Amino acid sequence: MSDTTRESNDRTGLGGKYLTFSLGAEDYAISILKVQEIIGMMDVTMVPSVPAYVRGVINLRGKIVPVIDLRARFDMDRAELTDETCIIVVDGPVGEIGVVVDRVSEVLDILGRDIDPPPTFGSSVTTAYLLGIGKAGGRVQLVLDIERVLGGDSADLTGLGGVL
Amino acid sequence: MTKDASQDAISAVLDDVAATLACLDGDDAAAISDLANRLALLTGEIEAPAQREMVARAGKKLRKVADGTAKVPSESLAAARRLVAAATGCPALEGEVSGTVEAEVDDAGAWEPNPGSATEPESFDGAPNSSTSSEAPSVSTTGDTAVVETPADALDNDPELVHEFVSEAHEYLTAAERALLVLEATPDDRPAIDTVFRAFHTVKGVAAVLGFSQIAELAHRAESLLIPVREGKARFGTGYANLALRAVDMIRSLVERAGVMAQGVPLSIPGGYAPLMAALDAPVGPDEAPTPGARVDPNEHEPVEKAPAPADAPPGAASTAETWVRVRTDRLDQLMDIVGELVIAQAMLSSDGLLASEHGRELSRKVALAGKTVRELHDLSLALRMVPLRGTFQKMARVVRDTARRVGRHVEFTTDGEETEIDRKLVDALADPLVHMVRNAVDHGIEPADDRVASGKPAGGTVRMRAYHAGGNVMVELSDDGRGLDKDKLVARAIEKGLVEPGATLSEQEAFQLIFEPGFSTAKTVTDVSGRGVGMDVVRRAIESLSGRVDIASTPGRGTTFMVRIPLTLAITDGMLVRVGAERYIVPTANIRITLRPDASSLKTVSGRGELVVLRGEAIPMFRLGRVFGVPGAVDDPTQGLVVIVGEEHSCSALLVDDLLGKQQVVTKSLGGFIGRVPGVSGGAILGDGRVGLIVDPDALIALARQAA
Repeated sequence: MSDTTRESNDRTGLGGKYLTFSLGAEDYAISILKVQEIIGMMDVTMVPSVPAYVRGVINLRGKIVPVIDLRARFDMDRAELTDETCIIVVDGPVGEIGVVVDRVSEVLDILGRDIDPPPTFGSSVTTAYLLGIGKAGGRVQLVLDIERVLGGDSADLTGLGGVL
Repeated sequence: MTKDASQDAISAVLDDVAATLACLDGDDAAAISDLANRLALLTGEIEAPAQREMVARAGKKLRKVADGTAKVPSESLAAARRLVAAATGCPALEGEVSGTVEAEVDDAGAWEPNPGSATEPESFDGAPNSSTSSEAPSVSTTGDTAVVETPADALDNDPELVHEFVSEAHEYLTAAERALLVLEATPDDRPAIDTVFRAFHTVKGVAAVLGFSQIAELAHRAESLLIPVREGKARFGTGYANLALRAVDMIRSLVERAGVMAQGVPLSIPGGYAPLMAALDAPVGPDEAPTPGARVDPNEHEPVEKAPAPADAPPGAASTAETWVRVRTDRLDQLMDIVGELVIAQAMLSSDGLLASEHGRELSRKVALAGKTVRELHDLSLALRMVPLRGTFQKMARVVRDTARRVGRHVEFTTDGEETEIDRKLVDALADPLVHMVRNAVDHGIEPADDRVASGKPAGGTVRMRAYHAGGNVMVELSDDGRGLDKDKLVARAIEKGLVEPGATLSEQEAFQLIFEPGFSTAKTVTDVSGRGVGMDVVRRAIESLSGRVDIASTPGRGTTFMVRIPLTLAITDGMLVRVGAERYIVPTANIRITLRPDASSLKTVSGRGELVVLRGEAIPMFRLGRVFGVPGAVDDPTQGLVVIVGEEHSCSALLVDDLLGKQQVVTKSLGGFIGRVPGVSGGAILGDGRVGLIVDPDALIALARQAA
C-alpha cells in the first residue's frame, strides 16, 4: 500500500461485497448493501409518458415497483430476453426499483485497494455513474453508483457502453 | 332592552362584557369603543346606584382608551376590567364590593398584569399561586415563538407515554370543544360543564406528570376560569366561551408540539401563550377574589379537583360499551397490501387448470371454501380503514359558530348522520372544502336578522349538515335556510364577468354551477370571511380530486342545499377492464356513460385528422387510447374496436379501445415516487392474474389527447 491513490480509495470505503452482473460483454458491480433481491424476468406493464429507459411497472408481492432497463439507460442496443435476463431489485432514493440486466454473475469481495477511480475519456464518454473500476475474479468490474443511475440525473450517458 | 329589564339580563350583558374585555387586545380601538357604548347604554338600565356608578366609570375609562385620551391605556383598561368584574358581583354585596374596588382602582396595575406584556403572569402577586407554579418555567417571548426552559424530566420522557398523552389529550379536547359549543346554546347544561372540567383536569394532571408544565399551567387556569360558572356564580356567556375555546386551541397546539418534540429539545411556545395566560386570569368576580392571590389558593381548588368523574374514564365511555384499540396506520396499510395479495393468490389458485380436471374435484371444493374466507377477510380489512364523520362535523360546528360571530349572524347548526363512515384518508381531504362551504353558507346564505324577519322567517338562521350512504358513495348535504340562489342574478353576473355568452340559455343546474367558476362571486362586498371570488372553484376542484361531485338545489328565499357525493373509499375503484394491444387498462365505471361498437356510418373525420363518433345525432370527439399512450399493436380500424363514452352530458368524449374484458373491482395503488404522476393515469392496480394494470383518469387523458392533437 505504498501507492497513495490506492490508500485514498481504501479510505473512501469502497471495498466490500459486490453483486456482479453483465450487460453484453461488460461486467458491472453494485454494492450488495443496495440490493434487495433478484427476481426472474416477468411481464412488465408499460407506462406512458415516461423516459424510454423506464420499462414500466411490475407487481412485487402486492407492491407496484417501477422497472428500468439499464441497457436503455446507458444507450446500448436492446437485447433479446433470455432465460438469464433478470431484475435486480435495489433500494433506490425513492423506494424500490427494479433494474433489468442481461445476467447476474456472482457476489464478489472487492478489496479497496483493487478499486481505481473512474478514468476520464473526455466529453464523448461520461463516467459520472461509476464509483470506480475494480479488479476481482480475474476480470475488470465497473463499480456502479446506483443512486446516480436512478436519480433521474439527465447527464448524457451516451458511450459508456464503449468504455472497455 | 327596556327600563324594567331584569337584573338577570343586566348580569348577562356584564358577564359578556367582562369576558370580552379579558380577551381584548389593547390596540383594538373599535372593539373597546363598542364596549364603552354598551356600558353607557347599560347605565340607563341599572337601578342599584353602586353598580350603576361602577359601570359608568368603567364605560368612561374605556371611552378614554378608545379615543386615545387615556394617559396609560393599559392601566385604564385594567381598571375598567376590575370595575366591570366588580359590577358583575351580586348586587347584595355592592357596598363591600364598591369599597374594595375603590382601593384597587387607586393602585391600578400594581397587582394585575397588562394583557399585552404579561411575560411572567404567575409571579405578579408575589405569592406562590398554585401547586404547579413551583415548576413553572420562565417564559421569554421573542417574536412568534418563545423557547422555554423545560424541566429536565420532560426531555427524557418515554416516547410511548408522550404519544399516548397526545392522542388522549386530543380526545379530551375534542370532547371539551363540543361541550363548550353545547354550553353556549344551553348555559345550564351540567354534564357539558363537567365534560369541560374533566378534559382540562385530566390534561393538567397528565401534563404535570410528564413535566409539560406550560400545558399543565394553562389547563389549570382554564379550569379556574370556569369555576364561577360551575358554582353557578357566573353565567356562561359568549366571552367565557371565547376564552375557553381559545384555551382549548392553545392546549391543542401545545400538545401537538409536545408530540413532535424531538428528544432533548425544549418545547417551543406559541406567541399567543402569554397573553392568553394573562387573559385567563382576569375575568374573576370579586366574590371569589376578596384579596389578590386568594383565588389561586390550592385549597380552594380541592372540591373542584375531586368533583369530576374518575379521570381515567375516556370521554363518552359511559354511553357506549365499545372498546377501542389504537393501531398505527402504516400497519393497517401493510395489512391491506397483504390481504390484497392473498386475494390475488386465491384467484390464481382457483383458476388453476388442475381444479377442473378429473382429480381436482375435492381440491376445488377446498379452494372454494378458502376463497370465501379470503373474501370475508378482504371486506373486513377494507372496513378497518373506515372512520365516522363525527370529527368533521364537530369541526364544522366550530366553524359555524366562529363565522356567525364574525359576520354578526345568529345561526343554529344541526347535524344528522355523524356516525356515517368514510375512508380515513378522505376525512381530512373532505374537511377543507366543507369548511369553505360552511363559511359561505353562514356568510352569504343566511341573511341578516332584519332581512329575515322582514321576509317572515325566524331571526336566527339554520345550517344543517347531513351525511348518509348511497350505494358506494357517501353523501354530505349542507343546507341553509337563507336567501337561496337567484338563477337570473347568477346568469347576469356571469355575462358581466364574461363567463357566459349574452343571450345563452342555461338550465337551473347549469346556472347554479356557475358559482364554482373561478373568479365568480355573488357577494357585493368583500368580507374577511368569504367573497373574494376565490373559494368555490377551489371547493369543486378539491371534491373532484376525490372523485366526487357537488350538486346544488336552491329555492330563492327558502335556502340552498349543496350535495357532495364522494366515493366511500379511494382505495377501491369499480372499473371496466379494457384491452389495447397487449396492455390492459382500467376505466373507472363512474366515468363511463356507455360503450358501443361503432359502425362505419357513425364515424366522421374533421379536416382529415379529428375523429368523431355520432351517437343519437350528437357528434362526440373520439380519441384512440392506444395512440395517446403510445401502445403498439392497437386496432387501427375503429369498427374492429369498441368506444367507451366518458364524461358529462354535452361534454363527453369517446375512447377507442380494442376490447372490453369485463368489470372488476380493484385496489388503487400509487406507481411510486420514481415514476411520480403520469398524465392521464390516476394509479395502478394488481389485476386478477397478478400483473399490474393502469387506472385511466379519463378527464386528464382527454386533456392530454387534445393537447397532442
